Amino acid sequence: MNSTGEVVLCRFGELWLKGKNRGEFERVLVRNTRAALAQIDPEVKVEREHGLVIVRPTRRAAEAARRLREVFGYSSISLARGCASTPDAIAQLGVQVFGAALEAYPPDRVVTFRIKTQRADKRFPLTSPQLDVHVAEAIPSELVPRIRVDLGHAELVLGIHVRKEASYVYVGRESGAGGLPTGSIGRAVALLSGGIDSPVAAWMTMKRGCEVVLLSFHSYPWVGEAFERKVERLAKVLARYQTRTRLVFLPLAEIQQIVKDQTPPAYRTVLYRRMMQRLANRVAHEERALAVVTGESLGQVASQTLENLTCIEQAGELPVLRPLIAFDKPETIALAQRIGTFAISIENEPDCCTVFQPERPILRGRIEDCVRAERALPLEELLTRALAGRRVLDLGP
Amino acid sequence: MEALYLDNAATTPIAPEVRAAMLPHLAEEFGNPSSRHAPGVRAARALEAAREELARAVGARPEELVFTSGGTEANNLAVTGFARARAALGRHVLIGATEHPCVREPALALAAEGFTVESLRLDARGQLDLDDLARRVRPDTVLVAHMLVNNEFGTLYPLARAARLVRATAPQALFHVDAVQALGKVEVSLPELGVTSLALGAHKFHGPKGVGALVLATPVRPKPLFLGGGQEFGLRPGTENVAGIVGLARAARLADAALATSRAHFALLRDALLTTLAPAGFARIEPGGPDGTTPAIVALQLPGAPAEAWMHHLEARGVYTSVGSACQAKKGGLSPALLALGLDERRAKQVLRLSFARHTRVEEVTRAAGHLLELAREPALRAP
Repeated sequence: MNSTGEVVLCRFGELWLKGKNRGEFERVLVRNTRAALAQIDPEVKVEREHGLVIVRPTRRAAEAARRLREVFGYSSISLARGCASTPDAIAQLGVQVFGAALEAYPPDRVVTFRIKTQRADKRFPLTSPQLDVHVAEAIPSELVPRIRVDLGHAELVLGIHVRKEASYVYVGRESGAGGLPTGSIGRAVALLSGGIDSPVAAWMTMKRGCEVVLLSFHSYPWVGEAFERKVERLAKVLARYQTRTRLVFLPLAEIQQIVKDQTPPAYRTVLYRRMMQRLANRVAHEERALAVVTGESLGQVASQTLENLTCIEQAGELPVLRPLIAFDKPETIALAQRIGTFAISIENEPDCCTVFQPERPILRGRIEDCVRAERALPLEELLTRALAGRRVLDLGP
Repeated sequence: MEALYLDNAATTPIAPEVRAAMLPHLAEEFGNPSSRHAPGVRAARALEAAREELARAVGARPEELVFTSGGTEANNLAVTGFARARAALGRHVLIGATEHPCVREPALALAAEGFTVESLRLDARGQLDLDDLARRVRPDTVLVAHMLVNNEFGTLYPLARAARLVRATAPQALFHVDAVQALGKVEVSLPELGVTSLALGAHKFHGPKGVGALVLATPVRPKPLFLGGGQEFGLRPGTENVAGIVGLARAARLADAALATSRAHFALLRDALLTTLAPAGFARIEPGGPDGTTPAIVALQLPGAPAEAWMHHLEARGVYTSVGSACQAKKGGLSPALLALGLDERRAKQVLRLSFARHTRVEEVTRAAGHLLELAREPALRAP
């Protein structure tokens, strides 16, 4: 424990608490928590205890708390201090923590407060309301004129968790990242371009418990290494949200070149995307992933009409997850800012799609036309060569 | 005569590991990080690696760093840029009583843009007066700027508490910390402080001169001081100082990793200095007491001649110290910070500063103290 005895209390959502997989969820959550802190505090202790994960940093507890707000599966997070599970020890620490929190308010202002005990140790000598009163009575008389009890909308809530081994006292809680522990649901392959949408889609999939393998296409030498670097930076931001992140680059230039030379220009974009879909399915198979994630949003660009989405999807077998399908652009941007990808995404860097873009892409593509156009292409050869040209990066959290 | 350099609050030598990390970028790796070819991408990668390294050292995320030409620019960007960005919400700005000119001057200049700028008071001990802060912070306060470690006498200011106090009354206010003297002396972590930004300057912790950073833990973007090519998220355009930034990040990581041992070592050095000097009866200026003052900076109230004279006598013996801060020395004026402590003009001129680095040896400090003791016997210095 660090010198001030600070711990981070992490509460997890109720939704999956009753499920049969609860043990597994919690195990993954603890693993993810350790991984998230591995860089900033390798000696950190993480314990699972009765509906809580208790993190004991060796230093910089607030930094650990901030980091843990990026771990999926936690509903809220509090910086707390621990003490022996006796009414007097709790009261003593409670008053100390309360006094420190009160220092944040101007001395001439009356601050509303309440005490809220949660008791997991039912053999504790006092009931929760009794402990509330016991702690309140320990507040020194000189502080009393500055405070007023308000059970409804207190500005300052002194929380107490009573546990058998130790009890914890805290003021305030911050919202967690929500969602389910990443990796508890399975794995998906997420397509990552350099744009705003695809990182958000990947993040949302992680949020629902899916580990995500990132797949990106480059058109080297039509674009430079700078494009890959941009994608790598986006991937690094996303990597903060799961324990390990594979980033797979596949070359697309040859496919694009041949599609451009041998198929009708209007269908080019849809056909590129069908090839990407096929490649994503192959990569998913190798990575034992069960779905493909895209940042598509209905009607956002020409390739994202219902007809075109259908044409693209039908090139693969795995289900395509589109977390952003009903998002407006501003909603996606707001999330991208929160995740930390927005500033990178808006850097101007040509990607594999911009280079070979046709002037008038088809708006309502038909599958028959796609299939007919593809008859001219050596599909299997192209896919095999693209897969052989892969570059894989393993990124830590 | 071996030189004894005890002016590390003015600047520090570049650590060998820092120089080694920088060298490739002063030689064959000369690419412009904005170029889209291989040498450019290599430079950009070096920049990103440095960004991650520094972010880790100060508890920030990589995208929260803006590299600048040093602490002065980082403080200017924060004070001027944040105030301008928030002008629509209010025009009240608070700064510390002992701020460095690179915070004080841009803050005072804001008056011309319609801001009310107030300096906070010190309490009777010379520590930041939190009650005064509580009284002065207003709902229209948009910016509070304060140093974490005083550069002239080493006071450690309780900014985590101050930031909580400000947040309770003015939730929209930004809290900027001048941490230029702090890194390597105390824990410098954005989340621990609970503030919205902090300024760093590499040469104070064994990095190169001419490079620093503003660390931002807020979605609020300061209005940039320069306009140009969009580098550093548009907040600080100009081709990046890659070698300097690489050096800054490495120096920060080393300083952070060495923090616990440095702190203990500084205390040892301070004790060695004060014990050796005990017979002379010099008083140390330590507002906030020994626990509220970094042991890395020792300000001595000397008798008799102005500290300037002591400093040059020491210099003649190869001991390098300082009178006030290096910036004050250049401006030739009195230290407003010492005056804010309540010292009169004569006594403010009698303050000598000795400041340590983590590689300073106890024996060096004892020898420097020996020279001071000898000088104390010279009537010309001793007598007023």
